[in-house]
Amino acid sequence: MTINELVGSVGLKPLSTFEDRDISGVFVSDMVSDVMAGAKSGNLWLTIQTHKSVIPAANLVDVSAVIITGGKEIPQETVELASKYSIAVLSSELPTFELVGKLYELGLGK
Amino acid sequence: MSECRHQWNMTNVRFGFVAFEKCFHCSGVRTFFSKEESPHLGEAYREEEHFWSRVENAQSLRFDLVCSECGRVEDYTELMGLLHCTGCLPECEVEILQQKLEKEKTWLVVAFGHLPPGSDEPFSPEKMKILTDHFNQRRDTSRSRIRVVSFSLIKDFTVCKGEFIHDVGMLSQEPPAERKPLF
Repeated sequence: MTINELVGSVGLKPLSTFEDRDISGVFVSDMVSDVMAGAKSGNLWLTIQTHKSVIPAANLVDVSAVIITGGKEIPQETVELASKYSIAVLSSELPTFELVGKLYELGLGK
Repeated sequence: MSECRHQWNMTNVRFGFVAFEKCFHCSGVRTFFSKEESPHLGEAYREEEHFWSRVENAQSLRFDLVCSECGRVEDYTELMGLLHCTGCLPECEVEILQQKLEKEKTWLVVAFGHLPPGSDEPFSPEKMKILTDHFNQRRDTSRSRIRVVSFSLIKDFTVCKGEFIHDVGMLSQEPPAERKPLF
């Protein structure tokens, strides 16, 4: 599954400009240090963090997209930095738990 | 010379805090890694002519790298954190290199040693290459690459506005109104 396919499947709102790519797995964390240690290339990263610091961390470990859950407002400078690195920043109105359930149903957790 | 085509993975991962202390007498800054469970701010104490006070705690991690092929371990005890260059100083060597590498879809990351920097370079070129290899081995390098360089390239720490990839200020919903120098 690619990012663009996922966007339509679970009602995500794309905020940054990005190159479409394949998704491989999901990583859920609200700590950049946790992501630096454990996320894998192509993972979707689900977080409630909107701070700009998430983008260099996402870029460092090559996640396919950052999904900000819970309908949080995302600062423009976060979106602009993501666009520079072609990282997809997607917004979801769903809480993390509900979104994880939907992603699992789509087969992304298997 | 080793024939191994190293595959580097993180090992000995320890989560903790990078504590920043500032001396209000000389304005010096020093850092150390702490594994305390409840880090605190503001505690001041005197040490010879210095009056140190803890001004920041950044959640972070400490790690080593191990080669999954030959078992070699590379120690990164001296790594205080990784810095995202914001391009604040056009004449800074980091920014000059960043501009060049971005054209090749290579993203620059600055490895920072603990402060104050000593007289010896804490990161050998080989250590930087291994760290670079580790992050590139974790990514799809057909899309882009990572290059890690030492903080010794930074022209002037006192005016640097780079941003640590640390868990600090993460709960704020508002971006800072103005970027301030690191130290």
